[in-house]
Amino acid sequence: MNYQPSDFLPILVQLVAALAFIVATMLATHWLGPKRHSVLKDDAFECGIESVGDARTPISVKYFLVAILFVLFDVEIIFMYPWAVNFMGWVKSTSDVAITMFLEMLVFMGLLLLGFIYVIKKGVLTWEK
Amino acid sequence: MNAIIALSLFGISNLFLGFLNNRKILLPATLVFILIALGLNFADWNHEYYWFNNMLKTNNLSVNFVTIILLSTFLVVAISRSFGDDDEHSHPAEYYAILLFSAVGAIMMVTFENLIMLFVGLEILSVSMYVLTGSDKRSLRSNEAALKYFLMGSFATGILLFGVALVYGATSSFDIHGIAQGVAKAKEQMGGAYGPLLYSGVILIMVGLLFKISAAPFHFWTPDVYDGAPSIFTAFMSTVVKTAGVAATYRILSISFPSVYGLWGNPLVYIVCATLIIGNITAVYQQSFKRMLAYSSISHAGYLLITVLAKRPETNSSLLFYSLAYAIATITAFAVLMVVSEAQAKNGKADESFEALNGLANNNPLLAFSLTISMLSLAGIPLTAGFFGKFFVFSDAFSNPSSLFKWILVIAILMSTVGIYYYFKPIIAAYMKKGEVAKIELSPLYKFILILTTTLTILLGLAPDLVKNIF
Amino acid sequence: MPILSVLIFLPLIASLVVAFSPDQFKAYFKWFTLGVTAIELAICIYLYQNFNHDVADYQFLEQLDWITLPLGNLGIGSIDYLLGVDGISMPMVLLTGIVMFVGALSSFQIEQKERGYFSLYLLLTGSVIGCFMALDMFLFYLFFEFMLLPMYFLIGIWGGPRKEYASIKFFLYTLFGSIFILIVMIALYLSVVDPVETAVRIGLINDVSEITPQIITEVQNLLKDLKIPSEQIVHTFDLRFMPDAGNFLPDSWLNILSGTQIFSFSARALAFILLMIGFGIKLPAVPVHTWLPDAHVEAPTPVSVVLAGILLKIGGYGFLRIAYPIFPEVATEYAFVIVAFGVLSIIYGAFNALAMNDLKKMIAYSSVSHMGFVLLGIGSLTSEGINGAVYQMFSHGVLSAMLFLLVGVLYDRTHDRRIDSYQGLANKMPLYTAMTAIAFFASLGLPAFSGFIGEVFTLMGGFNSPLIPRWLTAIAAFGLVLGAGYFLWTLQRIFFGKYWVRQFEGTLEDLTFREKSMLYPLAILAFVFGIFPHLIFDLTNATISELLKLF
Repeated sequence: MNYQPSDFLPILVQLVAALAFIVATMLATHWLGPKRHSVLKDDAFECGIESVGDARTPISVKYFLVAILFVLFDVEIIFMYPWAVNFMGWVKSTSDVAITMFLEMLVFMGLLLLGFIYVIKKGVLTWEK
Repeated sequence: MNAIIALSLFGISNLFLGFLNNRKILLPATLVFILIALGLNFADWNHEYYWFNNMLKTNNLSVNFVTIILLSTFLVVAISRSFGDDDEHSHPAEYYAILLFSAVGAIMMVTFENLIMLFVGLEILSVSMYVLTGSDKRSLRSNEAALKYFLMGSFATGILLFGVALVYGATSSFDIHGIAQGVAKAKEQMGGAYGPLLYSGVILIMVGLLFKISAAPFHFWTPDVYDGAPSIFTAFMSTVVKTAGVAATYRILSISFPSVYGLWGNPLVYIVCATLIIGNITAVYQQSFKRMLAYSSISHAGYLLITVLAKRPETNSSLLFYSLAYAIATITAFAVLMVVSEAQAKNGKADESFEALNGLANNNPLLAFSLTISMLSLAGIPLTAGFFGKFFVFSDAFSNPSSLFKWILVIAILMSTVGIYYYFKPIIAAYMKKGEVAKIELSPLYKFILILTTTLTILLGLAPDLVKNIF
Repeated sequence: MPILSVLIFLPLIASLVVAFSPDQFKAYFKWFTLGVTAIELAICIYLYQNFNHDVADYQFLEQLDWITLPLGNLGIGSIDYLLGVDGISMPMVLLTGIVMFVGALSSFQIEQKERGYFSLYLLLTGSVIGCFMALDMFLFYLFFEFMLLPMYFLIGIWGGPRKEYASIKFFLYTLFGSIFILIVMIALYLSVVDPVETAVRIGLINDVSEITPQIITEVQNLLKDLKIPSEQIVHTFDLRFMPDAGNFLPDSWLNILSGTQIFSFSARALAFILLMIGFGIKLPAVPVHTWLPDAHVEAPTPVSVVLAGILLKIGGYGFLRIAYPIFPEVATEYAFVIVAFGVLSIIYGAFNALAMNDLKKMIAYSSVSHMGFVLLGIGSLTSEGINGAVYQMFSHGVLSAMLFLLVGVLYDRTHDRRIDSYQGLANKMPLYTAMTAIAFFASLGLPAFSGFIGEVFTLMGGFNSPLIPRWLTAIAAFGLVLGAGYFLWTLQRIFFGKYWVRQFEGTLEDLTFREKSMLYPLAILAFVFGIFPHLIFDLTNATISELLKLF
């Protein structure tokens, strides 16, 4: 099946219409809406609590380390869900793919474990020295 | 390809060796690891193997490239001197581990059979290098270099990935031989022309890779990053990363896209010329030896790309010989630069200018001599390996019948004369300028490496057929 | 015994010996170097004695396979270690022996870093002499470029105040030229086939020793008909095969019949021009001569001697060995241009010499002028001209060595080279005056001295040549007048009149024993070769008449 560039014209029209709607609404609200300034209204919204100080304060690097380690291990754990689902399928069959899969996951977990041991021995997770 | 697995495991064991509280064991252990990997690599000699479900492929060409990469890594590790005596701020175990990991990435870049593997290899190599570039945590220049490299490098990787995606769109394959078939098929359907997808895909892949080997106009990061990174990692970057990058570029262009030579060949001509001119001319104006070496590495990327462009049957061996000669000479130069700049340090800051070398020959004849030989080799003076490297490159360009190569040759010749001017600056400083460098005590291993690389450079200049027949 | 290899490797090994011997032998380095160069000179004289005057071809041949490169589709590349001398190189080898020996004697005054100096000097000796004997173009190029390195360091470390500038200028100029030569070399290498090795490859003969002229012709015919598969073609750098047009691959760049055009030039003409620039820089011909005065002024005396005595000759030698035999038809076509540059060098060099106040610079420019005669002789393409050119190279080698030694003598005593700093030296230094007078007269071409023969023969060649107009040679002859002008004027200013030396309190001693032992033999040589020119012409004649058959 061959498409001509002109076949995509409706999409282009749709795109333009969508964009135009956004721009038009934004402009309309800007013009039509009333504008009232007061100290309270101009304040940053903090769940009704008065805001204190500057948001950009230095934070201990330990937070970042823990956060990045959390992301790392978390993502690797997520990998196990699809694996487990597939693994159950192969276990039921007679093929020995399941054994290979199991061994591969062992290697994967082993590497994760090594990384975890390394992190602990390096003292990344000890909060106070 | 067991070298990949072995090196990864060695890298992990290096991390744990770091807990032994004995820094001295790390250096010999890493050297032994690399030698074992080298041995495993030779086991693939004279075979054509596919690995990991056709993801990687080894043949003699790739074994040779891996040998050069591992040899360079070996030399760099050997001159690392356990990264100094600074216990507080340096982490030798981690550095060695990361070096081994990045060698894995480099090996994947020269053996990939699937573009996914190219991407993975490139990322392993690049991410390792981002970390190592910033490893001098207290130096502002090092931090700046790391950030710059990271930002620019990630953009380049993104561009490469975009290119891979477009090529997949045009040829519906990630496999480099599959892509070649896809390209042929597409050309057939289009009656000899090629569609915009393939066109932009190839160009984008090329841009991504050329960034890594710092060819102009994608070279802007190179001087700052090379200058800011600790010298030992600059040595690694300018040899291993460059060799792997050129090998990957050559591999993908020569295997996947030989039938669309015009598509990538024409832009590459201008890139080669620009690289040669910018690299050489800018190097002339440098005051710092290290920065000069950074620009020189840009210019050598230009010479290497000439053979990629020439697309002759001999390109394989010319490329290998040039990479080898360049790597050995560059590592020697960095080895000398490192000890001298530390010995001449002012206010705790290493002095990397040419002046630091003034009068080096008086008390340190070995250092001065090694420096001279490496500079001569980089400049391409006869009886050094670099001369034959240039000789083979020029021969390749010559035997290509295309008239474009005459212009490239003219530029390459002019630029190699310019090169001699700045490569002689350190020699002039070491032998002719007045100055005093105290006698520098070198460890036996360090001396051995200097003598080894110098001898190799001269030996390859006397008898290039020793390795040329293997390549 | 491989006597030519001994000539090359004796100084190279001696250089290593000096480089690695302990410091306590420091005082003996100069004697050791002198001994080695004396042996070299003896071997050169032995070669001269045993050289067969009637044979035009190469003698004392030595051949070894050195590098063999598989080039895939292109065939096989072969680089040989191939040495030999013929009538053109024999005088040069002899000259090298003489000048290197004198230079070693003159090096006795070196007083710092002796080890480095003498080791580099011996290295230079080996590579220069190798350059004159190499018959493989690659080997020639190797020596040609390699000799720059010791020279560079000799000027750069032991030179005068502006040594860094002078040495890098010298190096860059020559290297720039030699890269042109490299390009031509690669092009020739891709074009020329070794018929002997190829015959072995394709099975016409079993061994190299079975070669006959018939086999070579057969191979050449096969080549012409494209009947040899390209993988079996052996490419070569062998200079003996390059003059024969039959050895060129039919479709190659430099084949005379293929008529390849590059940048709308014929490829062969372009190659010849590149060689001309490369060797012209070395010669040096105006306008690429500017490195020479700088290098000479900064170089220490013995290095100046070697530079003027031998290194310049390699330019002229390269013309005769490489450019002319391989591209004879282009050489004929461009004869006028070459001679014009020669004449320009003669006149321009002479006028500059007239204007110089620095004695060394004056002599450097006189070298430029005298080397112009070489270009004139070569360009004339007549038997007299080329014979005269080789003679002029030999004679200039001896005389310029002597001239620079004489400047060195004065400079050692007063550290002042300005001509107007001296007056009436004849009163205090009679022997020195006599020697200078001999050297000056011999250089300006007084009959009975060697300079006369060289200049007269090159001029004769110029006048006899059908390729160049008479007026051009007539202008060159005017150079002789200028030469007489600057030499005699200098003689008058320095040596005659009342004794006066600027800012010098001590007494000027006359020649010491060492200086005499350098200058007397050179003066005698200039005289002997001036009276018995056949000593050189006998060597060159056969080879040059063979060379002229190509034109």
